[in-house]
Amino acid sequence: MSQLGQVIGILRKLNDEYQISTPKKLKLIDAYLVYVLLTGIIQFIYCLLVGTFPFNSFLSGFISTVGCFILAASLRIQLNTTNRSTFNVTPERAFADFVFAHIILHLVVINFIG
Amino acid sequence: MYRSFMMIIFILLPIYSWCATSTVATNLYPANLNGLKSQFQTAMKSFSDVASIHYSLAGIKELGVQPPDTYCNDIKKLVDKTNIESIYHATEAAKTLTNCNLPVEDYRSKISSTIQSDKSTTAEIYYAVRSSINLGLNIDESLIEKRLNTLAKTDDSILSQGYALLTGAQLSPAIAKYYADTINDLVQQADEIDGRILQYEGGISTTGLIFNAFYEVAEKAGTSIKIDPKQLLKFANYFSTKRHVATLRSAYYLTKAFKYISDNKNSMPIVVTRVSSSEVNAQNPSVLVSVTNLFGQPVGEMIVTAESAKRNEDGVVVISKQKLTSKSSDFTVYELPFYDKKISRGFYTIHLTLTPQTDGKFIGLTDHTIDVKVTSEVTLENVELNIVDRDNAAQIKTYKLTYPNGLSNNLEMDYHQKLIIKFQVKDKQTDEFIRVQQAFLRFTNKQSNKEIIYLAEATSGSNPQYKVEVDLTTNANDFRHQSDAYELVLLVGDALLQKAFSWKLTDNIQLSFHDDNVPDIDHLNIYSAKPEIIHQFREAEKRPPAIVSLVFSGLTLLPLLILLISWLKLGFNLSGLPLGLSPLGFHISHGAAFALMYFYWKYLDMFQTMRYLALVSIPLFLFGHRVLAILAARREKKV
Repeated sequence: MSQLGQVIGILRKLNDEYQISTPKKLKLIDAYLVYVLLTGIIQFIYCLLVGTFPFNSFLSGFISTVGCFILAASLRIQLNTTNRSTFNVTPERAFADFVFAHIILHLVVINFIG
Repeated sequence: MYRSFMMIIFILLPIYSWCATSTVATNLYPANLNGLKSQFQTAMKSFSDVASIHYSLAGIKELGVQPPDTYCNDIKKLVDKTNIESIYHATEAAKTLTNCNLPVEDYRSKISSTIQSDKSTTAEIYYAVRSSINLGLNIDESLIEKRLNTLAKTDDSILSQGYALLTGAQLSPAIAKYYADTINDLVQQADEIDGRILQYEGGISTTGLIFNAFYEVAEKAGTSIKIDPKQLLKFANYFSTKRHVATLRSAYYLTKAFKYISDNKNSMPIVVTRVSSSEVNAQNPSVLVSVTNLFGQPVGEMIVTAESAKRNEDGVVVISKQKLTSKSSDFTVYELPFYDKKISRGFYTIHLTLTPQTDGKFIGLTDHTIDVKVTSEVTLENVELNIVDRDNAAQIKTYKLTYPNGLSNNLEMDYHQKLIIKFQVKDKQTDEFIRVQQAFLRFTNKQSNKEIIYLAEATSGSNPQYKVEVDLTTNANDFRHQSDAYELVLLVGDALLQKAFSWKLTDNIQLSFHDDNVPDIDHLNIYSAKPEIIHQFREAEKRPPAIVSLVFSGLTLLPLLILLISWLKLGFNLSGLPLGLSPLGFHISHGAAFALMYFYWKYLDMFQTMRYLALVSIPLFLFGHRVLAILAARREKKV
């Protein structure tokens, strides 16, 4: 019981810390990440329920969510000012990369969706 | 060493091939005269054209039957006055009848026009010349000769040369002699097959026609026909192999060829055939051979000597240089006593040579072979039927049997036992035990009539004993576990046995198998129709009902709502959105890229999409770059 309480306490502290210290841009991206994650989970549940037919469509949808998640996560990393030392890239450049990668990702996904 | 090996091959090969081909194996048979006669007679029942009339009437006359004059009307009806070949056949056919006169004037113009024309072939010249002679018209020999010479230059086919010879045979003896001298050239043009047969391209009717041409022209020239005897024999071999011919023309020329070859004026091949049975034993101890010409006629007295009789198996010579005795007054049948206690069972080849005692130009007097077999009587000895217990070898029930008596009592066996049958085969003559080609034990199921056959095997060495063993447990599958009453028969046979054995050992042997219930297959049903295979297309995979898919599609869009709400809560606003051409262009081209994705999904293929994408990405990158520059500048300004 006390363990659970401890866990809850830690989580609440994490949440507060997050709300305060993350800039708005990053929070927007985090919300986007959650959205993509939820979409992926729902697709996966559907596949579990009704089977994998047509398998290519399921894969393309699922990989689309995964790809979007990864691209958004990498954009977030690049935009995070605390990581300025490791990456020497301007936010605009990061965004341009994000858009370019998305175009390719969507091309592949649409090709595969059948 | 390699070189000496090659030298040996080069020396031995020619010697071998010379040995193989120097003997023209004279496997001549008397002509199938009855077959030819019936062929002509069948054709004489109804005629469709004048050529058939010619060949059948002339053919039957060669075979000694005079056709009746009633056919004269058929000839007159079927002849075509405008065709020289038809005129030829008509005049030839009319000549075979005793009283058939054709209207000469009808044909005169056609005949002369054929002879005058430059375009006539050698065959047509022959037809015209022969028709003239048959009708009693005069012919201009020098003109014909000139025509033939011209044709010889333009047409050198073998058939044309044959017709030229035939035409020459119709003219004066001097001209005929000129053509008779070309016979040897023509013979050289024949094709040799297997070293045994000479023929001309075109089959039997061409070969027969040319062969006849040789004899006709030689006869007219008054000379004897000059053909090498070996080659004449090869021609004879060819004709001898034609037992049945398809066309009347072939049949006619074949008959004439046989007649010429069997004429004593010419070289005559001799035909030696066996007339007794191929089996020699105590009941028929002699081999009888007939010596005739190809027409089946006698050839006068001959001394027939059996040079050697060799056993095929080991080459042992059992008879050497023995004269055969004549059995008939016309010297056509000769006898060789063969059977002797000293000559053992086996296949023998007898080589015969002939020495003529009369004058005559005989050829093919050597290299005649006759195949016979010497058989013997055997008995089955020491026949034992044993029923042995599988586990306890000591328990044996033995029955001794003598041919031809079977077992009087019924037998019963079950799966604890096995059946062993032993016997020996003894040659009555030599009193030795021998091996035979067939020794079988046959079970017949009395209900279903199914047969199960086992091979009896002989022990090796001298005094072979045959043994066959049937174990009712290990061999149960052969019987398909059908416990029933069976009939038991012993079969012994061989090519060299005078009599084979089929001996019913017992009428009723009851076999009981371990009930393994292997169902008995009905052998008649093996060939009945099998169940039909209907092609199964690949079944479509199960899909969820449409409602479920729609619900989940809706559910997938739900997080979008959550996203918008959370963004609004976080303070997402479009206040910082730059306005102007570049941002507009950027947003339009960005939107166009996604629209292109939609179109790609629905309508386009990859290649078209790539092209459109390349097109869209140019403004996209241009405007995007500008927008980002604006944003970067704004950020710099803030900082």
